[in-house]
Amino acid sequence: MGYALVLVRSASLNLEAFARTTGTHPDLVRRLVALGVLDADRDAAGELWFARSQVAVMGRVQRLRAGFGLNYAAVGLVTDLLDRIAVLEAALREARRPGR
Amino acid sequence: MPGGPRADRRDFYEVLGVPRTATQDEIQQAYRKLARQHHPDVNKDPGAEDRFKEISEAYDVLSDPQTRRRYDAFGPDFRQVPEDVDPEAYQRSRASAGAGRARGAGGVGGFGTDLGGDLGGINIEDLLGGIFAGRGFGPIPGADQEAELELTVEEAFQGGQRSVTLEGPDGRHTLDVRIPAGVTNGQRIRLAGQGGRGSEGAPNGDLYFVVRIAPHPRYRVEGRDLYVDLPLAPWEAALGTSVAVETPRGEMKVKVPPGTSTGKRLRLRHHGLPHPRGSAGHLYAEVKIVVPAKLTDEERRLFEELATVSTFDPRRR
Repeated sequence: MGYALVLVRSASLNLEAFARTTGTHPDLVRRLVALGVLDADRDAAGELWFARSQVAVMGRVQRLRAGFGLNYAAVGLVTDLLDRIAVLEAALREARRPGR
Repeated sequence: MPGGPRADRRDFYEVLGVPRTATQDEIQQAYRKLARQHHPDVNKDPGAEDRFKEISEAYDVLSDPQTRRRYDAFGPDFRQVPEDVDPEAYQRSRASAGAGRARGAGGVGGFGTDLGGDLGGINIEDLLGGIFAGRGFGPIPGADQEAELELTVEEAFQGGQRSVTLEGPDGRHTLDVRIPAGVTNGQRIRLAGQGGRGSEGAPNGDLYFVVRIAPHPRYRVEGRDLYVDLPLAPWEAALGTSVAVETPRGEMKVKVPPGTSTGKRLRLRHHGLPHPRGSAGHLYAEVKIVVPAKLTDEERRLFEELATVSTFDPRRR
């Protein structure tokens, strides 16, 4: 099997499609948007639209909640910290590059 | 292979790193520590998911005093043993039935295959789910994973296929990764759907390979630019010459202008690493003047003559 670089599908999902894809309830999704844990765009009609990348974010939220028994506000904090660590690790890798 | 034989299953106490005499508090403490360390969202290593699953399984069993007692009495097959069986009778019957079968592999391997059907199709995967399933969370997309991929300068230059073996959720598996020509240090190669497994039909996460270009005996890499040493004899540097320089594409002739000193960089435009969507990096040949360690009589005579004749002072300001 060979795998190539793949373009991320860019099509957005509306609230129902997002909830269906992630197996969650739309009310929970709305709550997570309100908490700033999920990012969503609101169109002129007020409907929420989610980038495909938010499916993975939702997965992480659910896993962190299941794995550590965190409430959703705490999950928000943990995901922010994990993202900051990822950025720092990338910077560290860059700085450690041989030939620098 | 869900429900398949897992002959390599470790002892649950060993998994949590606690003695068999551990208190419930000690078990919980060990689990919490290990879970924080190996949770697939905290630890991007492709092996972490497997480890976390193992830890969770062990904790699920040992955290409940009743299942822990049964695990202690009947071992890894305890779920197959009916509630009212006497532990000692069980051990005796096992000892005789298992005479022709290796313990270890046979004990766990029998799960889901020869025993599963007789016991109402009990399956460890149904009981424990994926890592997170069966805890009332519904389908959960898998976590993204990250692994380092060390490439030689030549591999980064040419691109191509590369076989990579990883410890994944189903044990070891080998992936063929297509490396685009001109990848650089720190760049991420994405393998869609090859990360952590989603539960209950939810999509898998992605696997990212972070490229690291290995140190090379000849080339130094900086972004897409390559640097090579270009050793020159003093007279070559003074008079100018044309020398062959190795590049990943093969040998190239480089013109050294007269009066070239150590440290001067001769640029070979676009002979560095290629850029998939732009112009390639450059290759820089860095001049390094080298003198013979031992001079012949004739060389010494000529250098002495040069020293007498020349007014050049490299330290004059």
